[in-house]
This record gives sequence, C-alpha cells and structure tokens, in this order.
Amino acid sequence: MKQEEFFSSRWSLIIATIGIAVGTGNIWRFSRIVAQNGGGSFLIPWVIFLLVWSVPLIIAEFAIGKSTRFGPVGAISKTAGRQFGWMGAFIVFVSTAIMFYYSVVTGWCLKYFISAITGDLFSTTKYLEYWTRFSSSYQPLVYHFIAMTLVAFVIYRGVSKGIEKVTKFMVPSLLIILIILFVRAVTLPNAIEGIKYFFTPHLDIILNYKVWLNALTQNAWDTGAGWGLILTYAIYMKKKEDISLNAALIGFGNNTVSLLAGITIFSTVFALSTSDAMQQISQAGPANTGLTFIYLPLLFSKISTHYIVNVIFASLFFIALFFAATTSLMSMVELTTRTLIDFGFKRGKAIIMVASLGFLLGIPSALDLNFLTNQDWVWGVGLIISGAFISFSIIRYGVDKFRTEIINGYGSDVKIGKWYNFIIGFLIPVQVVVLVSWWLISSVSWDPEWWNPFHTANAGTCIFQWAVILLTFILLNKAMVNQTFKENN
Amino acid sequence: MNFITIITMLIVLGTVWGGMTFFLTRAIKYEKIKEKNGED
Repeated sequence: MKQEEFFSSRWSLIIATIGIAVGTGNIWRFSRIVAQNGGGSFLIPWVIFLLVWSVPLIIAEFAIGKSTRFGPVGAISKTAGRQFGWMGAFIVFVSTAIMFYYSVVTGWCLKYFISAITGDLFSTTKYLEYWTRFSSSYQPLVYHFIAMTLVAFVIYRGVSKGIEKVTKFMVPSLLIILIILFVRAVTLPNAIEGIKYFFTPHLDIILNYKVWLNALTQNAWDTGAGWGLILTYAIYMKKKEDISLNAALIGFGNNTVSLLAGITIFSTVFALSTSDAMQQISQAGPANTGLTFIYLPLLFSKISTHYIVNVIFASLFFIALFFAATTSLMSMVELTTRTLIDFGFKRGKAIIMVASLGFLLGIPSALDLNFLTNQDWVWGVGLIISGAFISFSIIRYGVDKFRTEIINGYGSDVKIGKWYNFIIGFLIPVQVVVLVSWWLISSVSWDPEWWNPFHTANAGTCIFQWAVILLTFILLNKAMVNQTFKENN
Repeated sequence: MNFITIITMLIVLGTVWGGMTFFLTRAIKYEKIKEKNGED
C-alpha cells in the first residue's frame, strides 16, 4: 500500500506528537507523584530519565514508523523479524486497552468543564459527594460516548483534515490556557511556599530507590515513549523530516508542560489550602482522581471573591484538561485504526469498528471505578513491556545499523552519536527489568493474595491478563503478519 | 528560599525549559535552511 497521507509540515507533526505526549498524566499524575516523592528530590531523577528513557525511545519510535510505514505489527515484523509480529500486536493491544478507559476519563474532563462553565460546579462545597454522585450515575457512560464519537469523527477525517486540524487548535490553546493559569497561580499570596516545596530536594529522599523508580515510571507514562503512538504518527511524516531533533523537542516539550502544570498546582494548593496542602496534593482518591475532581474544584471556588472569576479559571482548567485528554485519545484511536488499515480494512470501516469496540469495552470502566483502576494498573505497567519490545526490535535489527542508516539517514538535521547504542542496547533493557520486577515485588507486599488474578491491583492480575493476551498473539502471529504483508505488497 | 532550592530550580528549569528552547531554535534554524534549499 502506497503511503498517501502526510503531515503537511514539520510543525504540524511536532504539534500533533506533543498532543500525544501531553495528557491528563502531565496535569494530575505528575503533581501527585511529585508530592508523594518529596518535591525537589523527585525532580532530579525525573530529568535524568527524560534523557535516558523518554528521548531515546521517542527517537526509536519515530525512526521505526518513518522507515517501515507500518503500524506496530508490521513495523516490529520488519525490524525484528516476522516471528516477532506478536510483540507489535501486544503494543497495539496495551494502547487500545488504555484507550477503552481513557475515553471515560476524557468524558469526565468534559463533564467538569460543562459543570464549571454553567456554574453547576459551584452550587456545592461538598466535592467528594459531587464526584461520587456523578461517578455512580449513568452520566460517565454518556460522556464516554460523546468523547469516543468526537474522536472517531476526527480520525475518520484522516491525518491532514482531522488530526492535524484539531491538534493545531487544541495544543496551542492548551499551552496558552496553562500559561494563563500559571501566571495567576504564581501571583497568589503565599504561592512561593508551594514553589519552595516543589523545588527543595532532601538528600535522604533522593537516595531512596523508590523515588528513582517512580521518576522512571512517570517518564514512561507521561511522555508516551514506548506506547507505539508516536510510531503510528511517524508513518505520516515526510521522508525529508528529521528524527532526532523532533524527538528531543517532544520529550522536552512534554516535560515543560509538566513543570508548568506542577508549579501551577503547587502554588494554588499552598496559597489557598486551609488544611494540610501536601496531604491534599498527594492523596490519590478514587481512581486517582482526588486532586483533580475533588480538591481543585474546592480551590477554584476560593480563587477570588468574584464568582465569575472563579467560573472562568475553573472552566479554563477543565477545558485544558479536556484538550490534553482528547489529543492523546485521538492517537490511541488512530493506532488501532491504522493497525486495521494495515490488515486491509478501509479507514471508514476500521474507525467504525474501533469506535464501537472502544465504546462497548469502555462501559465497564465508565460504570465501575474498580474496573477502571484494574485496567489502569495492568496496562499502565504493560507499557513498560511495550517499551522493552521496541528496544528489543532495534537490538535484533542491529543498534548501530539502525542509528547510522535510519536515524542519521536522509532528512536528519543532526547526527546521533554512539551513546545511543549504549542506551537502547543496554540501559533501557536494564531499566525495564528493574522497573517491572520492582512493581511486581512491591505488589506482593501490598496484597497477601498477590497471585489472585481477580484482585484490583496486584501481581496476579497483571501476569494473568498479560499472559492471556501474549499467548493469543503468539498463536495468531503467522496469520496477523501474513495478512499485514499480503495487503501491503 | 535557600541556596539548595535555587540551585535545584536552576538545574531543573535550566535543563527542561532551556533544553526545549535550545532544540526549538535548532529546529527553526534547520527548517529555514531546508526552505532556502527548496526541499519538500
């Protein structure tokens, strides 16, 4: 199949890819993890892992997508060999499983934006009750449907008329809104206390291995590195486009947004909190929503004595969150759609299948927060394995050959040195082994029945669900790979 | 704000925001060169 659609320019590609990377995780997860891991003590390893995990893997995804012009199944088969197509299918499945519940989360953001702009959000002061009433009703299902339909329509329109147009509006708008909120937050009285906490390191905490592992996990989750999403958008980049400089811009751009959001949230919470600010930021709450949907609305109601000012700031925050979630959800839907296109489906038919399946399989998460938490746990950790599969496929291809022929090949603005071989060939596999082992071993101490696959968040549920999916794809490997290459020869 | 906080702030913001600015200016520079050479 000849590649017919492309991003119109370098900037369109970068904006769309930043849209993948910047999601709700930059806004609510980042602040919570910083608070739980000692503020400034967390930020130093977080910056280091940007350099040794996120940027190298983003480079890898760009290079694989651009050189193979296939979604993950075809791309991994071409890079690592046809017998490893199941690894690509696993990468697709992990992001698709995340898409099922991420659409629900996108719907929550839309609901809170509508509540904020209509003033309904400020009709109460009991925000836990407000959240519980919403999440236990049928409403999340309706908003999940709206989110999935909106995104499916954008993806149906294709790359230049859909993804490019929407991200060109949403990503700059998100950045402008975040800057407005940032300026307001840092000029609040007592905001400096929040900034101080955010940047003050403590030597005893910085030496704790858990802080380093959390910093790596946060980088893996919030940059989108290793998810297969950037690989999918890279299919649509022109041959003359550079890889390494674009990848660095996306990694650093993503973490820039995280810092903006973090400083904004810490300043706001320290300036307006009447109780223990740190406890409020670090509490997870149901499905990790504590800070965003329960505590921040309370703070927005106190940002000014003028009701309309509170409404404006709350609306801006939730629309920014909705934009961040939507642009990430779009990439997940495109990933699955592209895989079906590789299998021989027309875009229209593929998107109808993906959206219908996405809506149906998202229903359990929309109606049951425990189910959503379970899926977030299983496939969130699964992302690390996706990253490992990408790294493995490059090792199989030959790291040095991959670097010199593909990354530094036609279109490259800057040449990547041999340090890249060491990171992809050694450092990333080591990080994966350490991280996954740590997560699984830790979960044994959280749950005495760690082997039980029907518990919400333990080792057993991860191993069980991963094993079912991996086994299925290993058995289907030949059929999937043959279908992909038959349709594209 | 104590000395160690300021240093950490400089390292973190300098690396992330500084890195972002650096790569952005490089990308703009190379894009201009490509435009000048008439590449498409």
